[in-house]
Amino acid sequence: MNLSALLMSIISKIDGERTIYAGFHLLRGKKSGQTLQDVEYYGLKKFFGLLPKLSTEVFDEAVAQLKNDEFIRVDESLLVYLTESGQAENNKLPVYNFNGWDYRGKEMIFFARLSLTVQTISNFRADSKNFYPTQKDTEIQTFVKTVLHKQLIGDASFSKDFQKELVELMVKSDMHDVQKVIFTHRLVGYNSLGWTWAQLGEALNLSPMTVKLYFIESLHMLLDTIEASNTTPFTKKLAVHIKVSSHLTDSSMKTKVLFQQGYAMEEIMTMRQLKMSTIEDHFVEMVINDELFPIEQFVSVEECESVYQKSQELKTKRLRLLKDFFPTLSYFQLRLILGRAPKGVNDEHPIRT
Amino acid sequence: MNIQSVLNEKFGYDHFRIGQEAVIQDVLAKKNTIAIFPTGSGKSLCYQLPAYLLPGTVLVISPLVALMEDQVAIMKKNGEKRVLALNSFLPYQERMKKLDQLAAYKFIFISPEMLLQPAVYEKIKTIPIAFVVVDEAHCISQWGFDFRPDYLRIGEFLNKLGRPSVLALTATADDEVLQDIIYYLNMDAPVTHKQSLDRPNISYAIYALNTEQEKTEWLIDRLEKTTGPGIIYVASRRRADELAIQLNLEVGSVAAYHGGMEQEDRAFIQEQFIQGEIEWICATNAFGMGIHKDNVRQVIHEHVPATIAGYTQEIGRAGRDGKLARATLLYTKADINKTRFIIQEDLPLEEEVRYFGQLLANNVVSKEAAHLAGISETGKRIIDYYFERTDVEETILRIAEQRSEKEKQLQKMTQLIESPLCIRRNLLGYFGETLIDKPLSCCLACGNMDADWIYRITKKRGERVIMDWQEKLDELLG
Repeated sequence: MNLSALLMSIISKIDGERTIYAGFHLLRGKKSGQTLQDVEYYGLKKFFGLLPKLSTEVFDEAVAQLKNDEFIRVDESLLVYLTESGQAENNKLPVYNFNGWDYRGKEMIFFARLSLTVQTISNFRADSKNFYPTQKDTEIQTFVKTVLHKQLIGDASFSKDFQKELVELMVKSDMHDVQKVIFTHRLVGYNSLGWTWAQLGEALNLSPMTVKLYFIESLHMLLDTIEASNTTPFTKKLAVHIKVSSHLTDSSMKTKVLFQQGYAMEEIMTMRQLKMSTIEDHFVEMVINDELFPIEQFVSVEECESVYQKSQELKTKRLRLLKDFFPTLSYFQLRLILGRAPKGVNDEHPIRT
Repeated sequence: MNIQSVLNEKFGYDHFRIGQEAVIQDVLAKKNTIAIFPTGSGKSLCYQLPAYLLPGTVLVISPLVALMEDQVAIMKKNGEKRVLALNSFLPYQERMKKLDQLAAYKFIFISPEMLLQPAVYEKIKTIPIAFVVVDEAHCISQWGFDFRPDYLRIGEFLNKLGRPSVLALTATADDEVLQDIIYYLNMDAPVTHKQSLDRPNISYAIYALNTEQEKTEWLIDRLEKTTGPGIIYVASRRRADELAIQLNLEVGSVAAYHGGMEQEDRAFIQEQFIQGEIEWICATNAFGMGIHKDNVRQVIHEHVPATIAGYTQEIGRAGRDGKLARATLLYTKADINKTRFIIQEDLPLEEEVRYFGQLLANNVVSKEAAHLAGISETGKRIIDYYFERTDVEETILRIAEQRSEKEKQLQKMTQLIESPLCIRRNLLGYFGETLIDKPLSCCLACGNMDADWIYRITKKRGERVIMDWQEKLDELLG
């Protein structure tokens, strides 16, 4: 796993339909109408917000690598395509177990909590109650203090139980062995110092970025496992509020509330003093994230069906191409329909095989 | 309570170190005080001790968040819980909460930009202040213009606060810097305490090399044959990374450290270095403030520092345990121009300032105007400071002054490295001191370097080994 490979998987899904920068915005988790909509249309949820601090420099380097290997090409209108050898290469790649859509970079907050908890327990066990916390963020410190309050931190049984929880979760999560090594070596304790990305990379013969991606994936796998677990109560406490509770942006949420109170789109526009196009973005977000959204108020079941079929047939989700076949439908209606694609249509990209 | 008993009870010491007591007496007498003490001579005691003998809160203005966090962590570790760090790292809501409880704290550390926020200042005004400390006070002069124009505004803040007494602390200040400190902080009749900056246990060497390649080879050889722990200061983040990789490959036990790394990774490296798991650090000037490691045996510069003050501070991190240490500087002819380029880069040019002014006059938003005029973020901060106070012409003049000031500093540095005379004498001369006792092992120019100790590698360089994940968990929690 490395950034180029990850990017190639993304490009295989937006093949010829988007520019290369759609991949950049996706990895950074940009909350714009376009990116949020792409996530659904092209089944890219797992990649959303994996690297919130990704720099253009690093991204461009990964792109250059792919171009250099002739795995991708970019046309005159900047749309990006997977080449034949790129497709062959992409088919060799493993399935990624990221869950960016649910965690959006907040997995790092979970890890910071876990790390400080381990550091605290480890030091208390060694009777060293004065230590420098590696996690400097006061919010993390306050959180961990609250979680550990009134616990018998210095007791052997407490740390044993916690260790048992971690082992159980790591095994159940199905993370790769190298991920277990990375995960545990990012932790610190009494007389047990952490390893930087560069140091792990050198020791494991991987690039620092690869190490980091493995790490993020392992956290997503671990968090998914924690959610489903009933036997790891303490670790569960550390994962509180890490998964996003609503996939809507704050602004879309406000629009949704008004819509539920019975206001029409025009009324909401006036009340919120926003442009109609923005309100439309919010509705598209709502249809993407809410299975119960009453789409029938905007389009008929028949219209939906025929658009899905056309989209499959043409192997495209580009609005401009579809619009030619459905002149009576507005762009907004088309976006709603594509946002509500039946299960399977968007998830595993069936368009190009 | 007298100061001796506070020293015993609160700090666990029997005696003061040289100079501390006199400063503390002046602070207790509410005099405006300036203490110029070398790094590692116990400056922080000079405000921590009197705090316990005066009513009210001590406000410590500190330029670097990292430094502040570090100081606060030490104080908390030593059992003082009434310490607060107010900086932009503190999340907004928590900051608001703390602001309502300011009086509960004995020590408040604050960054200059936080100090200038009206909401913060209004709250500080309501609590009794014992005295104000300006830490690393040379920032006001040395890099105040570049990075911290906010530091220049501390004087204005003090006026508004009704002029509490001020203690300015620094490790490096020549007469010019000293005058700047007094001027910008508006200090009335200050008492100055100055200790000799000479560090007799450090010997100095400066080598002119021909190419970058030669430098790298010199370093590989050096690390193989001589003792650590040591710090290698380089000019850029990229160089820090690349050199660390190469040295690690050739010699081992080396890591990079710079501001572009994630906070967690930086904390790991610091701790590894302090605990002795790694011997050498390749760092930019981001490394050092707040690193408490007494046994650093070597500091090596492989670039030309921009100022002698900065250089002195960096080499001052060697040999704090009082044992012999070595400061080495490697340079090529091209390095002087490289440094010149770096220090001039952020200063806006005359035509940029004019264009920026025009754009503002035409109601272009300030941020966009800076972008259009091609002014960097740092450059904009400098311009903003002057534009608030004066007009375009004056701004151009002041920036030109800065440019020539920086050039002057670099010239002095250049003279130091190119001089055939005693390096120690030159360094002290720069701070207005005369060398009286020359140590046995002085510098390359004096030729009397006792070099035996440096080739004695006492510590075997251990490889850090990856563990099995279960074993690692056992180490942590078992």
